[in-house]
Amino acid sequence: MRRERLFLALQMTPIMVVLFLLFGGALVLAIVQSLGYAPWFGVNTFPDLSYFRALWSSPSFWQSLGLTMYYATVSTFLALVGGILLALALIKTFPGKTLYKYLYKLPLMIPYTVGIALAVLMLGNGGVLSRFAALFGLIDDPGQFPQILKTHYGWGIIAVYVWKQLPFITLAIYAVLLGIGRETEEAAAILGAKRRTIFFRVTLPQILPGIVSSTLICFAFNVGAFEAPFILGGGFPDTLPVVAWRYFNDADYTLQLQGMATVVSIGLIAGVILFGYLAAYRRFEKRMGRN
Amino acid sequence: MTQVQLRSISKRFGGFTAIENIDLDIRSGELVALLGPSGCGKTTTLRMIAGLENPTTGEIHFDDRDVSDLRVQDRNVGMVFQRYALFPHMTVEKNIAFGLSVRGTPRSEISDRLDEIIDVVQLGPFRQRFPAQLSGGQMQRVAIARTLITKPSVLMMDEPLANLDTKLRGEMRRFIRTLQQRLGITTIFVTHDQVEAMELADRIAVIFNGHLAQFGPPEDLYRQPVSVDVADFMGASNIFPGTMTGTDAVKTGFGTLSVVAQPGMADGSRVHAMLRNEGIDIHPANVEGGDDMVAGRIAARDFFGATVNYVVECGAERIIVNEQSRRLLDVGMEVRLDIPAERVWLMAG
Ligand SMILES: Nc1ncnc2c1ncn2[C@@H]1O[C@H](COP(=O)(O)OP(=O)(O)OP(=O)(O)O)[C@@H](O)[C@H]1O
Ligand SMILES: [Mg+2]
Repeated sequence: MRRERLFLALQMTPIMVVLFLLFGGALVLAIVQSLGYAPWFGVNTFPDLSYFRALWSSPSFWQSLGLTMYYATVSTFLALVGGILLALALIKTFPGKTLYKYLYKLPLMIPYTVGIALAVLMLGNGGVLSRFAALFGLIDDPGQFPQILKTHYGWGIIAVYVWKQLPFITLAIYAVLLGIGRETEEAAAILGAKRRTIFFRVTLPQILPGIVSSTLICFAFNVGAFEAPFILGGGFPDTLPVVAWRYFNDADYTLQLQGMATVVSIGLIAGVILFGYLAAYRRFEKRMGRN
Repeated sequence: MTQVQLRSISKRFGGFTAIENIDLDIRSGELVALLGPSGCGKTTTLRMIAGLENPTTGEIHFDDRDVSDLRVQDRNVGMVFQRYALFPHMTVEKNIAFGLSVRGTPRSEISDRLDEIIDVVQLGPFRQRFPAQLSGGQMQRVAIARTLITKPSVLMMDEPLANLDTKLRGEMRRFIRTLQQRLGITTIFVTHDQVEAMELADRIAVIFNGHLAQFGPPEDLYRQPVSVDVADFMGASNIFPGTMTGTDAVKTGFGTLSVVAQPGMADGSRVHAMLRNEGIDIHPANVEGGDDMVAGRIAARDFFGATVNYVVECGAERIIVNEQSRRLLDVGMEVRLDIPAERVWLMAG
């Protein structure tokens, strides 16, 4: 028994070493740097909480955190609602279904940066939408088009996230829907349940595993995403990843440590939220008798 | 108590015809079995009655009322699905109470009816369990209770016994029959097991390839099948081709049998004669008997305990004879078969 375990541990050593060096090592390095250890910059005050203290006591950090959460939550939520609706539609049979099943996955294959470029082309002042609006007389001049990009409501950023993640969530929920089949919904209908009731009491609880796993991934990505808020954001306050980037990019390289504290903070906060989310879901699963 | 009528019902899926012009008249309080091989359209028929599928042509009536435009929710039918379709995220109690709770039945009434039905299906100890924590038979009883609690006017069951082991199946059969008789609810029961159909049903509808082949009481289907296919499906093993000689005899590969005249079976027509296994008397060849007996030799014997099957070679054919095993005849023995005219059934073709 012991020998077998030892053997197993030995077999797993190479992959564990690689994983540790790639992720664990970088994580440890980020944490020790954020605590004041960076002799290569001539800084070594380890252990030193001053970077966190400076960060957390500044109001702009909390504004940035709020903004980051706002983008992440709103876009995940919108993508989820859209994804559920689309998955429910796709499960039905309708003419041209095969085509739609390919089309909706298209954004999954297109990189984020291309999506951002598309957003600029489509949604910007002087973009395609504004020109069309002007052409059809909805506005007098493309310049009057409502500001979608570079505002703090961040519709441009949210649009890019949703555009990319809606297909992903759809895919996840569609797969779960296929797995559970139509029969429980039909049974509910025969028992007299209306469509709304069927959705909330029969379908939704059953697709929850798909919802939880896909929103978890999207939310985690959105919290840490950099390009979209960087290019399409409205300037101060920035989202936390952009704030971190500004520190890293500063000529004063001792600010690197402040950047690390920011990165570690993002990780901590995202970790706590995701952990809480999963714990709540586990409780629900247990209540349903699943293990 | 509801009478269910299918009037010239057809169902096409794209270019494929699943049901072709079926007429079925189910009396109120009757238990009807839909019997047929896999893919013949049994489930499709149930789904149309429930309103889950619309017939391509034809009408469905409940008590002379056309329900074709009535939504699933408003038909007040009950359906026990082939794979139960229990709600996996609800306890036994919640599953069973679902139908009442979505109809806005007061809580106290739900609780009373829940107690009552749980008592009937004997699920008391399992009220707080989830479907994943139940055995097949228990799940099935949940599915039945969930359906019955809403007091449907028509109860449909799609092969509810298919997933159960032999012993449980026998128990559930008796349970369903007793319950159905007690409640007097019009019931349509799908199966592809002819023994199950005969044991449970007041009448059986045999469906082949979307066509209604025969509809009648079990004994009719068993003794007087309208076609070789039906006879075959009902488990008949002695079916022999022959030619009518006159209207009361048929010439077969093992001799001429006297038969009772049947309409449509004229002199010279090609027919199939069916001899039921248990309708033939077998005698050792040395026993005195009439001249019209068929002579043969026992080629094989299958002993089932209470009964025994003999495979008797008669000319070019093999006839299977079933009798009580109070005595046993030996393989190789010369025998004579007594086949009374009234026990021979003729089918066209
Ligand atoms: N939605 C559908 N689309 C296309 N064809 C269908 C559909 N539903 C059923 N069919 C076809 O209709 C025929 C009858 O199907 P049905 O499910 O009624 O068979 P069944 O008698 O219940 O068979 P089984 O005993 O295997 O359950 C089958 O050939 C099936 O492939
Ligand atoms: Mg079926």
